[in-house]
Amino acid sequence: MTKFITILNTEAGNLFSLSAALKAIGFDVVIANTPSEVKGSQLVIPGQGRFGTVMQTLESNNWLPFLDQWRKEQKQVVGICVGMQILFEDSAEDNNTKGLGWFKGRAEKLNFPKQPMVGWANISSSRLPEGAAYFVNSYAIRDASQCIARTHYGESFCAAVNDKTITGLQFHPEKSGQYGRQLLKTLLITNFKENS
Amino acid sequence: MSSELMSRIIPCLDVDNGRVVKGTQFVELRDMGDPVELAIEYEQQGADELVFLDISASHEKRPTALKTVTRIAEHLSIPFTVGGGLKKLEDVKSFLDAGADKVALNTTAIYSPEIIDQVAHAYGSQCIVVAIDIKQEQQQRAIYSHGGRTKTDKEFTQWSHEVAERGAGEILLTAMHKDGTGSGFDCDLIDEISALNIQVIASGGAKSEQDFLTAFNAGYDACLAAGMFHSGDYKIQEIKSYLKSQGVNVRI
Repeated sequence: MTKFITILNTEAGNLFSLSAALKAIGFDVVIANTPSEVKGSQLVIPGQGRFGTVMQTLESNNWLPFLDQWRKEQKQVVGICVGMQILFEDSAEDNNTKGLGWFKGRAEKLNFPKQPMVGWANISSSRLPEGAAYFVNSYAIRDASQCIARTHYGESFCAAVNDKTITGLQFHPEKSGQYGRQLLKTLLITNFKENS
Repeated sequence: MSSELMSRIIPCLDVDNGRVVKGTQFVELRDMGDPVELAIEYEQQGADELVFLDISASHEKRPTALKTVTRIAEHLSIPFTVGGGLKKLEDVKSFLDAGADKVALNTTAIYSPEIIDQVAHAYGSQCIVVAIDIKQEQQQRAIYSHGGRTKTDKEFTQWSHEVAERGAGEILLTAMHKDGTGSGFDCDLIDEISALNIQVIASGGAKSEQDFLTAFNAGYDACLAAGMFHSGDYKIQEIKSYLKSQGVNVRI
């Protein structure tokens, strides 16, 4: 059995480890530069680059109407790191750029003890497997009504959000060892149910 | 539930022409094995990250290094830093494209420090580790470049401030006088730069689990070691179990 999954190419960094992680859990991975290249019914927005430039790429490669339609059809989207942040309305990283606005709220520069936050932190969640995940970020969403996981570094913030088929992860599951692999399976294969 | 960043253990692969090597005080290299096999082994042992240093770092051997980096990245699900002889922004790009998550710069950062700003601007601070090789010589300390071969006029605290200000995400601090000696990490150095808003990785001198405990208690964010893992004297999870029993926040 092979199943396609598409990584949306935001042209902001290498997609090597994300692609390898998705292959490792059994997917055929497609990297799409434009909507016409999408295969399957699951889309991952990778976690590299800054808020403004990622949104700019989405706009110039005609992703915005496609993504709204995708969401209406209740197909799955997983946004990682900045890919989660663009699901919100805006960000202190680039004040003049609007996000997708699917979730209410804004990415802020947080009061981390050392900047940027780079390293492993425990996440607490009732819906995701608990464990240590790898974070790389200066900005994050403090709180959101659809927050499903939290973590703490200097202050508490939202580690994951979910609304129906749309999920955002502030950490990098592709860099989070076996925990990350397990989590990607939970999200993309068993749809939040415990793996058998 | 609150948690903070975990103390990291980072095995280092010094790679020369496709093989992992280990020397004492930067000389007398010995073959320690295949980098891909060791990388996989260390991830399974509980490594929090992996550092790959291309110590040959010559232009002719660069394609070999890039291929090895890709082969490792294909098998790794933890963060992966690559360093050794990166001179220009294009070198950084080629290693990131090959599958590295971060690059470590040393010599180039010393002689052309603006590359720190450039990498931070192009890829973000999280992508750049500045490696500082320091040596205690009687009453003085010196910063070295070129893999420990060339003494520079950089001053330790001043240089550390500068790299942090220019946008480095982490400092990899190698105490050359400790390297390969097994006398423990140099814990005086961290005191002098602990006020900096940047993570610091200790390197050089690890021999036992106790050395890691001392370093984390002294304020290091991560510890890097090579020989004690390559030799099989210690498994990473053994060290972590010990650290956890001593109250250190580690990923088990």
